[in-house]
Amino acid sequence: MTKFVSTPRAYSRREWLARAGGGLGLLALADLLAADSPSPADSGRSAQPYAVRSPHHPAGAKRIIFLYMPGGPSHVDLFDPKPRLIQDNGKPLPFEKPKLERTKTGNLLASPWKFSRHGQSGIEVSELLPRVAAHIDDICVIRSMVADNINHSGAALQMCTGEQAFSRPSLGSWLTYGLGTENQDLPGFVVVSPAAVFQGAQLWASSFLPSAYQGTLVRDLKNPIANIRDPSSSPERQRTKLDALGRLNDLHKRGRLNDSELDARIASFELAFRMQREAPEAFDLSRESAATHQMYGTDQPTTELFGRQCLMARRLVERGVRFVQLFDAPVNNAWDHHSGLREQLPKRCAAVDQPIAALLTDLKARGLLEDTLVLWGGEFGRTPTAEGTNGREHHPFGFTMWMAGGGIRGGIVHGATDDFGWHAVEDKVHVHDLHATILHLMGFDHERLTYRHGGRDYRLTDVYGNVVHRILA
Amino acid sequence: MILVSMWSERVVAIRGSLSRTELFIFYLGITAALSLSGVAEAAGPAANAEVAQVSHASASLSELSNAHRRWWAYQPVRVTPPPPVRQTAWVQNEIDRYILSELEARDLAPAAPAEKRTLIRRATFNLTGLPPTLEEVENFLRDSSSGAFARVVDRLLGSPAYGERWARHWLDVVRYADYHDADPKARVTSCEPLEAWRYRDWVMKSFNRDLPFDQFIVYQIAGDLLPNPTGQTPYPDGLIATTFLVNGAWDRGDADKEKMVSDMVDDQIDTVGKAFLGLTLGCARCHDHKFDPISNEDYYGLAGIFYSTHFMESLGTKGGEITLKRVPLVPRVVAARRDALVRQIEAVKAKLAGLDKLTPPVSTNHPVRVSLIQERDALERELPPPYPMALTVQEGGMPGGLFPNIQDVPIHIRGSYTRLGSMVPRRLPKFFAGESQPQIMQGSGRHEVARWIASKDNALTARVIVNRVWQWHFGEGLVRTPNNLGLLSEPPTHPALLDWLANRFVEDGWSLKKLHRRMLLSSTYQQASAIPSATFSRDPENRWLGRFAARRLESEAIRDAMIFVTGRLDFSEGGPASADLSSLRRSLYVQTARWDRSNFAMLFDAANPDASVEKRTVSTVAPQALLLLNHDFVKVQASHLAKRLLGEVPVDDMARIHRAYRLLFARAADADEVEIGRRLLEQSGKSATSEEAWRDFAHVLLCTNEFIYVD
Repeated sequence: MTKFVSTPRAYSRREWLARAGGGLGLLALADLLAADSPSPADSGRSAQPYAVRSPHHPAGAKRIIFLYMPGGPSHVDLFDPKPRLIQDNGKPLPFEKPKLERTKTGNLLASPWKFSRHGQSGIEVSELLPRVAAHIDDICVIRSMVADNINHSGAALQMCTGEQAFSRPSLGSWLTYGLGTENQDLPGFVVVSPAAVFQGAQLWASSFLPSAYQGTLVRDLKNPIANIRDPSSSPERQRTKLDALGRLNDLHKRGRLNDSELDARIASFELAFRMQREAPEAFDLSRESAATHQMYGTDQPTTELFGRQCLMARRLVERGVRFVQLFDAPVNNAWDHHSGLREQLPKRCAAVDQPIAALLTDLKARGLLEDTLVLWGGEFGRTPTAEGTNGREHHPFGFTMWMAGGGIRGGIVHGATDDFGWHAVEDKVHVHDLHATILHLMGFDHERLTYRHGGRDYRLTDVYGNVVHRILA
Repeated sequence: MILVSMWSERVVAIRGSLSRTELFIFYLGITAALSLSGVAEAAGPAANAEVAQVSHASASLSELSNAHRRWWAYQPVRVTPPPPVRQTAWVQNEIDRYILSELEARDLAPAAPAEKRTLIRRATFNLTGLPPTLEEVENFLRDSSSGAFARVVDRLLGSPAYGERWARHWLDVVRYADYHDADPKARVTSCEPLEAWRYRDWVMKSFNRDLPFDQFIVYQIAGDLLPNPTGQTPYPDGLIATTFLVNGAWDRGDADKEKMVSDMVDDQIDTVGKAFLGLTLGCARCHDHKFDPISNEDYYGLAGIFYSTHFMESLGTKGGEITLKRVPLVPRVVAARRDALVRQIEAVKAKLAGLDKLTPPVSTNHPVRVSLIQERDALERELPPPYPMALTVQEGGMPGGLFPNIQDVPIHIRGSYTRLGSMVPRRLPKFFAGESQPQIMQGSGRHEVARWIASKDNALTARVIVNRVWQWHFGEGLVRTPNNLGLLSEPPTHPALLDWLANRFVEDGWSLKKLHRRMLLSSTYQQASAIPSATFSRDPENRWLGRFAARRLESEAIRDAMIFVTGRLDFSEGGPASADLSSLRRSLYVQTARWDRSNFAMLFDAANPDASVEKRTVSTVAPQALLLLNHDFVKVQASHLAKRLLGEVPVDDMARIHRAYRLLFARAADADEVEIGRRLLEQSGKSATSEEAWRDFAHVLLCTNEFIYVD
């Protein structure tokens, strides 16, 4: 049977020595490996790709909601106040910019918006995000993010898969591969993106991981899951057919090798039958109260779309979906403010501020925030210098992301950029470090969550990544 | 090679704590341990002796290169006579001797021969991606002569469906896509690989006419440099074949076009390395390859060759789209004539548009307007249809880029064009092609690359393709990582067989059809898939090939088989891809769009078009079942299958059930199955018409495991 290109089977040290018969290098290797526990439940993964599996260590978070702002939100206008920009507004950056091909930003541009302190922590947040600011004591603001790519495509790929140029499994794929999912009647990894975004499906692809682990894309919020029903047939009639199918498949198994793949396929039809009943309910926002809709802002044109996305996310994680990634994408690259910064950034913020705040409130009220990791950010930030007179360029050298919930120390700022918001200078957090930290929060040693492909063992963090322990609760 | 697998898993983890040499020594020690344990005979006795020695010695890089020289894949193909076996009656050809001797050495027995029905269904799917017809099965069952199966194989190899099936295998390896964007209306034509289908068709036709594989390689790397055998220019096949180099998952380089270009070069090196050589050349972009003998300099020697080649009109500008180069496939004068006409038409149209802007307006029957309209219409009548074009590479660097000429390039420190090191002359990797190589005097050097790869003296090339073909027939390769035969790969289970096949393949003029024939006409291939479970547990992974590995069909074969059994499959060949799943054409012609993963093909594990795929995964998930239960495509096939059954067997329910089984599974139904079928018809019949009941029956059969698994 063609099975997955599976990770090495988890042999015990003893089995392993017995199989291999000893030898010098082997002993050394065995010693080296002795500290390792087997990677999580490799056997049977092909038969039940979504079965719940235990991670390496107790996890701070069980599920993730990634609020992704495609295009690159401006850190110096939202979470990283820079008085020096006000002081030096219109002056040149006093040091040489990194070599950026054909990027013609001019002089420093002060943020047009005010910052003020919020919560007990007193962390400064821009006036554009007042409602998120009200949750600041639950939030860890990382002001020292660093990425490697200045293009949307490459940077978005790196943020979502760890690799800038080549096809690799996405964060959500790694996590569903590692953990399975808690609700067998729903996909484990759901992506909600109303418009197409750069690199599209590559951002939630399973790449060389089995396709079972790719994100399930919801584009049309009103018709979220493909093939969920057959309007021309009744459930009773379908049951009759499935019973016949089950009996035929049982007959087919006679005389064949005991094969988990055949069993898995039999099970998949039963699962599908249940999903038809369960999934529409999970995605059905009309089951929420008017008050809830009001809280998320789905009743207002400005906040309706992202409000629906956030509410959907809450319904999904509540039902055990492992990873939900929301793209704020009424159009492609909505946060890419090369121009029209003064008009467009407030619009985007207005669209997401209330929904995100509502999501945090709601998760907290339901006791879900404790073990749900909420992550906010884009592929990079934007230059503290002006592009034209009213815009900012792409900026991977120092930018902001934030995390809240499961396993995170709220009400802290981690890291800092320089006086101008240009370079991350203190406690830099590279995208690989962010990924290592997320995996850690979900219970994984990022160096040990691996998958064998083409003769090599791959991991989300390649050969990089350090867990940022300071931000852990 | 479990140990090696586990080892490589660790390499990444401990890379930081050990020096490179220490790592190697460590690795070598493991290989030695493997050889002592008898697990890794495959690496070859000489290599193991060497390695064992090294593992006890102190570290040095020269020892590494010794290990490289001893690595099985880097040694010349070595032909040894097929080994003797005890059970000679089982042997149909040389393959069987190699397989059987290993089985016998382990006290394992081969499985019984597969039933004829099973065998023809297997071979037909393997070679054409389609099930056999009723008649084909009956003819084979009736033919009791000794050459019956050989005739089936020859018939299948001669059918156009063969090329369609095997083209798809190759397209997996070369990260083929028809488009980036799935939505035809949203496509940015300048950067979409709109003409990629011509390459897909060229691959299909090349397989069908059994183009020798060495030529197949040369065309794809340097086809634009080949003379047209007819003496005319251009040479369409040569140009089209190089789409291979062009059809990558490019980012648009919206802010950094130079980085994009360096990624393109890297994709080309990486794909060429994996597809033809089983080498991960791309790993040497930022540093010397950690395991294989490919230095950072070697990489930039090759990179210079691909930098000296371009496939975009120019570098383009920041924020702008890229424009792929499209080259006319007609003689230059023909293209120029049409281009001139187009320009003339545009000029006339511009004049007409100018009239509309005048005040006072020029009346519709004004003589100037009338004559312009006449002129326009006359020109348009004269205008021939658009000439065909191909996506192709051309000699010379990227216009407007950092390396715009045919030129050597410097090392990019840590892979970045912003930090350039010392210049490397364009050349081939030294370990493989020798220290002293003739200087590349003319052109980019792609011709040299192609000739070096497509040579019988290249130890890797024939092994790589023979191993792939083996995998596509048997489910796993003799080396289980077909894109990587380097030091981190598992050594072959049957090294002598791999070499024997590789050598024979070259002797046969690099003929894939002869290779297929050899594999399929072996007893090894013709074994049953079911064996006693006691035997199974002794070789659960089927490494020693004591049975045929049953497996699920690929997405394309699932879809094609569904349409095929309704009798409506459209066999027309070639042409642009369709976005329409419900098209009756083969799945090869249903579009693969890079940005769309929510489709039938991807759901059933089609190849990821962003990177070379050596082997597809097989996943089994509920959304597949949802699709099969509820998607219109499947329901429509069920309905047509029901109609076919009712039409072909007008009265007898029992006969109709049997016919369905013959069509779908190449066998009659057994008593239990007839009973289940009857009960389903009865139950469905209570609330539905007879045709609807048969539709339910057909739908259930299309969903069965048997329909999409091949024994």
